[in-house]
Amino acid sequence: MAKQLGRDQQGITLRGSAEIVAEFFFYGINSILYQRGIYPPETFTRVQKYGLTLLITTDPELKNYLNNVVEQMKEWLYKCSVQRLVVVISSIENNDVLERWQFDIECDRTAKDESAPREKTQKAIQDEIRSVIRQITATVTFLPLLEAACAFDLLIYTDKDLAVPEKWEESGPQFIANSEEVCLRSFTTTIHKVNSTVAYKKDSFP
Amino acid sequence: MEDLENNTTVFSTLRSLNNFISQRMEGVSGLATPGSSQSSLQIQYQQRVQLEEQAGQIHSKSQLLQVEREKMQMELSHKRARIELEKAATTNARNYEREADRNQELLTRIKQYQERETEAENKLKEQMEMNKSYKKSMETMSKKLQEKESKLAEANETITILKGKISELQWNIMNQEMQMTSQDSQKQELMEQLDVQQKKWQEASQQIQTLQAGQSLLAEYEQKIKDLEQKLSQQEHDAVIVKNMKAELARFPKMERELRQLREENAYFREMKENNGLLKEEVEGLQRKLERYEKVQAQLVTVELENEKLLGKLKSWEKLDQSTGLNIRTPDDLSRQIVALQQRELVLKEQNSTITNSARMLEKARQQLQEEILRVQSQLLDEKKKREQHEALVRRLQKRVLLLTKERDGMRAILESYDSELTPSEHSPQLSRRMREAEEMVQKLHAHNTELELEVEMKVLKSQECTAEQSTVVTKEEVDTLRLKIEELEAERSKLEEENRSLEMKLEKLTVQGDYDPSRTKVLHLSMNPASLAKQQRKEEQQQLQEECERLRELVRVLEGGGAIPGNLEGVGGFQSPQEVAELKKQVESAELKNQRLKEVFQTKIQEFRKVCYTLTGYQIDITTENQYRLTSIYAEHQGDCLLFKDCARTSSLPMPGHIDIPSSYTEVWKPKCSSERKLMSKTIREGSWRRDVGLAFLLFCA
Repeated sequence: MAKQLGRDQQGITLRGSAEIVAEFFFYGINSILYQRGIYPPETFTRVQKYGLTLLITTDPELKNYLNNVVEQMKEWLYKCSVQRLVVVISSIENNDVLERWQFDIECDRTAKDESAPREKTQKAIQDEIRSVIRQITATVTFLPLLEAACAFDLLIYTDKDLAVPEKWEESGPQFIANSEEVCLRSFTTTIHKVNSTVAYKKDSFP
Repeated sequence: MEDLENNTTVFSTLRSLNNFISQRMEGVSGLATPGSSQSSLQIQYQQRVQLEEQAGQIHSKSQLLQVEREKMQMELSHKRARIELEKAATTNARNYEREADRNQELLTRIKQYQERETEAENKLKEQMEMNKSYKKSMETMSKKLQEKESKLAEANETITILKGKISELQWNIMNQEMQMTSQDSQKQELMEQLDVQQKKWQEASQQIQTLQAGQSLLAEYEQKIKDLEQKLSQQEHDAVIVKNMKAELARFPKMERELRQLREENAYFREMKENNGLLKEEVEGLQRKLERYEKVQAQLVTVELENEKLLGKLKSWEKLDQSTGLNIRTPDDLSRQIVALQQRELVLKEQNSTITNSARMLEKARQQLQEEILRVQSQLLDEKKKREQHEALVRRLQKRVLLLTKERDGMRAILESYDSELTPSEHSPQLSRRMREAEEMVQKLHAHNTELELEVEMKVLKSQECTAEQSTVVTKEEVDTLRLKIEELEAERSKLEEENRSLEMKLEKLTVQGDYDPSRTKVLHLSMNPASLAKQQRKEEQQQLQEECERLRELVRVLEGGGAIPGNLEGVGGFQSPQEVAELKKQVESAELKNQRLKEVFQTKIQEFRKVCYTLTGYQIDITTENQYRLTSIYAEHQGDCLLFKDCARTSSLPMPGHIDIPSSYTEVWKPKCSSERKLMSKTIREGSWRRDVGLAFLLFCA
């Protein structure tokens, strides 16, 4: 908290922006998992963040997985070598991809060389993040029901020349065959800009 | 009255005066007549006159005095009258007042009487109204009376009817009372019977109570028996347990020794494990260091290569000094030279740009001038054409003018000739005809002329067009080709733009769908991600389910075949954890043990009971086969003597050879109805009568 307060007064640095965006991904992915019912709602607990009551998982395995991914994202965001993060929701039985939550990241590489932090208040960034998370919650109204049991995967689009760490591997992009896309809001920390979209499989029977 | 009296005195005095006067006058007048002549008469007359005058004066004085007296009297009387008048006035006033008062009183009385009158009238009116209302009410009342009378009459009728009914009811009541009395008598009889029955019931209840007490005692005894049996079994258990415990105790020291050994081994193994862990960590650390060192080595190699390359480059850079001869010894000089060169280059570029700009400007001016020239040339040509056209027009007009003048001259000549001809002779109709013919000829000629001129003009124009076309054909051809090219290019451009837009849209859509440029990006994910874990779990579940399915199918085949369940399939019966299976097995074993113990206890107890019965009663009943009972007795003459019975309720009775049988009806008779009879029967057993006691024993056995 002291660091964040200090940041408030000082402005946004590259490391601070990476932390903010990584934190947003942690809470955003938790919200998506809760809203879409990937995990049972009783395994989620409430916390206060961005001025909202958000739900995060208490499942230790899932927590461990998310923390690993978020830590790696923080490093890559600091290096500005990550372009996109995708939450893929697929059916367990037939491996069909049913939903794709795509977060495009645009990084301002000049921030690496600059030493002066950028002028944007924490509050403004939090307001933007809050509106994005509210929109994620509101998408429940028009997204089709996920009736079969589903599992999720996190895909990260990085630069081609990035070294692949241990426990990570390359994978396919896992497109949706017949998809409908909806663009959501974006937020920016003046160093990183995150655009959100959700793509879902169009029902075969209207 | 005094006034009146005064007045009358006044009037009486007056009258007396008058009388006196009149008397005197008469006397006077009588004296005057006789005699003397006139003088005397005159003197008399004068005397008389004087006398009269005197008399008159005296009269008048007396009158005056009288008057004055009268006046005085009058005044007195006046005063008196006045006083009296005043008195009278006062009295009158008082009277008046009194009368006024009386008047007022009377008026008030009158008013009162009037008011009373009005009140009386009002009362009268009210009473009249009351009377009317009373009359109306009276009328209503009379109507009501009439109605009530009618109702009364009806009521009377109903009363008579009801009375009739009452009499009937009373007759019925009488009858019922009679019935009541009879029923009472019946009731009393029944009550007496009830009492008798109650007494019997009480006796029965008492007997039941005694029976229940006996049953409870029996139950208590049975419970005691059970408790004793349980204690027995527990003691047996305890004995068994004690034996097991002793065996286990025997094992105890061995177990302690083994425990100690195991603990030592455990501690040893834990230490080993910790050591292993530490060693593994060291190994991992060392491996990482190795990797790092290998990487560092590789980097070293690359770095050395780079170093050599850089040294080579440095040497080449140092040789530059000798090759270029520009007094370059240090990189600073190089950089300065380079900066100077760059500045020169910038300057030259600027000059170049300015020159190119000026060149473009000049070209633009040239092109504009060329265009102007072309325009001017075209204008020239146009004007030339116009001029030629005008000249042609002029020539035609001149020709026309000549023709017209010739015609005119001709016509004039004709006219003059006709005029010359006309003047001598009058051939007007012929002339007019000729005139008309001539005019028609002229008109025809004019038309012909105009047609010819038009033809000529057309021919001229055509000739001119041919010449113009020949000159502009070339330029028009070029222009057409250029326009065609332009149109084609524009069409291609629009198509390309549309293609571009559609491609951009597709690109955007694909990027939103998740597409990426493989040359610049790659997709990473963790190997241990929830989707893959879920798929693995699902596969494992599927495998397990398939295995279970196969096992169950084998079980079903075996069961259908009727074979014994092999041991390996028994465990498949329930997809339960081994703990529950062990528990269920333990429960089954304990239940079986209980069953066995109960059977043993029952056997011992029943054998005891049968022995007791045999010793106490002297009879023993055995079941030989199903539904056949054998009775043996101490009191029999021979030891082998026995009676065989069959229960007729279940089967028909058959006589058995070589034994004394009691007919079937006999066995039914001896079923006891209550315990008292049974007791009686049990008492007679010891007396020794054979047959009766047989049935009793049988009954005992059945009970």
